[in-house]
Amino acid sequence: MMKYEIKKVFSRTGSKFAILLLLVVLGITCWLAAGVTYVNNSGVTETGFSAVRQLRSVKKEWAGLLDEEKIRAVIEENGRIASTPEAQSNDYRQNDIAYSWKQGFSDIRDLLNYAYADGFREYNYYKADSLTTDDAKNFYQNRIVLLQSWLDEEAKDQFSDAEKSYLLNRYEALDTPFIYDYSEGWHRLFQYSPTIIMITMLILGYLVAGVFSGEFQWKSDAVFFTSFYGRNKAVTAKIKAGFYIVTAVYWVTVFLYSCIVFLYLGIDGAGCPIQADMAGWKSFYNITLWQEYLLIVAGGYLGCLFMAFLTMLVSAKTRSTVIAVIVPFALIFLPSFIGGMEGPVISKVLGVLPDRLLQVSNALSYFELYRFGGKIVGAVPVLLIMYGILAIILLPMIYYEYSRKQIS
Amino acid sequence: MELKISLLTKDFQDTKAVNRVSCTMGNGVYGLLGINGAGKTTLMRMLCTLVRPSSGTITWDGKDIFEMGGEYRKLLGYLPQDFGYYPDFTVYDYLLYIASIKGIRPAAAKKRAETLLKQVGLSGVKNKKMKKLSGGMKRRAGIVQAMLNDPKILILDEPTAGLDPNERIRFRNLISELSQDRLVLLSTHIVSDVEYIANEILLMKEGSITLADTPENIISSMPERAWSLLVPRAEMGHYLKNYKVSNVKTVPQGVRMRILSEKRPNADAILEEAALEDVFLYYFGEKEGAGDDEI
Repeated sequence: MMKYEIKKVFSRTGSKFAILLLLVVLGITCWLAAGVTYVNNSGVTETGFSAVRQLRSVKKEWAGLLDEEKIRAVIEENGRIASTPEAQSNDYRQNDIAYSWKQGFSDIRDLLNYAYADGFREYNYYKADSLTTDDAKNFYQNRIVLLQSWLDEEAKDQFSDAEKSYLLNRYEALDTPFIYDYSEGWHRLFQYSPTIIMITMLILGYLVAGVFSGEFQWKSDAVFFTSFYGRNKAVTAKIKAGFYIVTAVYWVTVFLYSCIVFLYLGIDGAGCPIQADMAGWKSFYNITLWQEYLLIVAGGYLGCLFMAFLTMLVSAKTRSTVIAVIVPFALIFLPSFIGGMEGPVISKVLGVLPDRLLQVSNALSYFELYRFGGKIVGAVPVLLIMYGILAIILLPMIYYEYSRKQIS
Repeated sequence: MELKISLLTKDFQDTKAVNRVSCTMGNGVYGLLGINGAGKTTLMRMLCTLVRPSSGTITWDGKDIFEMGGEYRKLLGYLPQDFGYYPDFTVYDYLLYIASIKGIRPAAAKKRAETLLKQVGLSGVKNKKMKKLSGGMKRRAGIVQAMLNDPKILILDEPTAGLDPNERIRFRNLISELSQDRLVLLSTHIVSDVEYIANEILLMKEGSITLADTPENIISSMPERAWSLLVPRAEMGHYLKNYKVSNVKTVPQGVRMRILSEKRPNADAILEEAALEDVFLYYFGEKEGAGDDEI
């Protein structure tokens, strides 16, 4: 039964086109993610696999424990390069040559810009150039100090005392000094993960939108509902088909995307904390890159399941594929409409909208906190648990709705 | 084995699509005859548990069919008027899918599908996509799906609609062939579809069964008789206005008319044997096939 339900979905020309579109988007996303550049000693930008190899090689020279000694070495080397004629030249080609010498520690240099910024939300690309080796000892402490002053001043009304204390505790709980390694594969994969997951979700929404309404569209509803299993097992088969389509399409897409990016850029740095890169420096989630990867793909999967089940419920309820197809679009673009509004409640609502599940990599850097029975947690675990439960709740609702349909 | 309908009513807002219908059916072919909009489809949909009645009951061997649920649907084969299918499925895949939702095991389903396809002359196109079949072939595929579970109750809603005369005859013969040891309820507004194959005719008008009996009894119950007469063309208007005219044919001598009337319409009129078509005209006051949209 289920085999035929899946066949019904993929026998539609539109579905074949949707899968083709997904493959095209996957190809483009992989190409974008793999678009690493390397500036050679002549200041010329190189691309392709040789650029990846060389970038990896120079970054590996700085891999290891990011302790005071290494920070000092980075500040020293950065200062030395900054004072060279190439760096101070007005000719951008000379500047590019100077940049080529910095590439190996450019990630750490970015961390310095954040760690020694004038404020928690400040970023100055040239800040690292003004540091002295004496500053090295404050590298990790500054992260906490900047947060503390931000919570005391700019964000003083944004969080309760308990939340402020929670954030500070999370910052202090980060194991320091941490390990730094070349981790371009992870970062590039994370950077484009919202795009590929969102497109996959929209395409999945399109694929499953007709699972229930298709019977009415094809006018095969009467035969379906008069069959022996038409109001029980056949409905379950439809739900199962939707689940398997989401599971197969999502995981195959994620697998292909991950394999292509990792094969090309490498999986080095899997054990590094997410704070070892500028994108995760401010995050209060003390996790490693591979754990972030797990959260991203798990969040994406739950998001796709929830959206697909919701689409199927609308499809079953309205008998309209068109209305059902609109659901995932509406849920993804809803935050854009209410995002303009401000306030702590809106912020909390925005933090747990389903679109966040599709972009866990971004959610990990947001300061969205929720309180449950005196316990404070971040948005990411709330999203994973809440939408996991909601997806399960939708299943009996779909079944109930469809198995009781009348043909008027 | 008895399908019993008691005081069945279905209201759609202000309209009574089916109004206090009662009848009992056993094995045999039942022709549900009525003009479009008479309530045939609504009645059939209730018999197929697709629509719940506003009031009244339908029982199978004393059990309410809505309470029987799957147990009742297992006995049921249904070919809806608007027979939908999955356009990109092959005929064979379509039948195997329907067999699966009818709870037939794959091996048995394959065997049954092959047998029925052969019986309806579709073996040669079993690997063709449904959307590539002609209208008649689709209808035959439709009857095959309805027959897959060897139903005790076979409900066919306007099965010949849209078919050409050859296909219609073929379909009629097929239904006759398949009607052994089961209850076949066939709705139509084409008298010839049921005239020769139905054991009993149910005449439905404005939501009610106005008459239910064998074709012979129904014909003999008609108080008016059928007359054939030749009249000058100029007098045709007079007869059309004052009599129920079931047929008009222009001939060189004038117009040959078939008229329903208790009394001889003129001295030259010849008494003819009444047919079911005349009964249809008598009860519905219009010719078969005319009427409003389906309810």
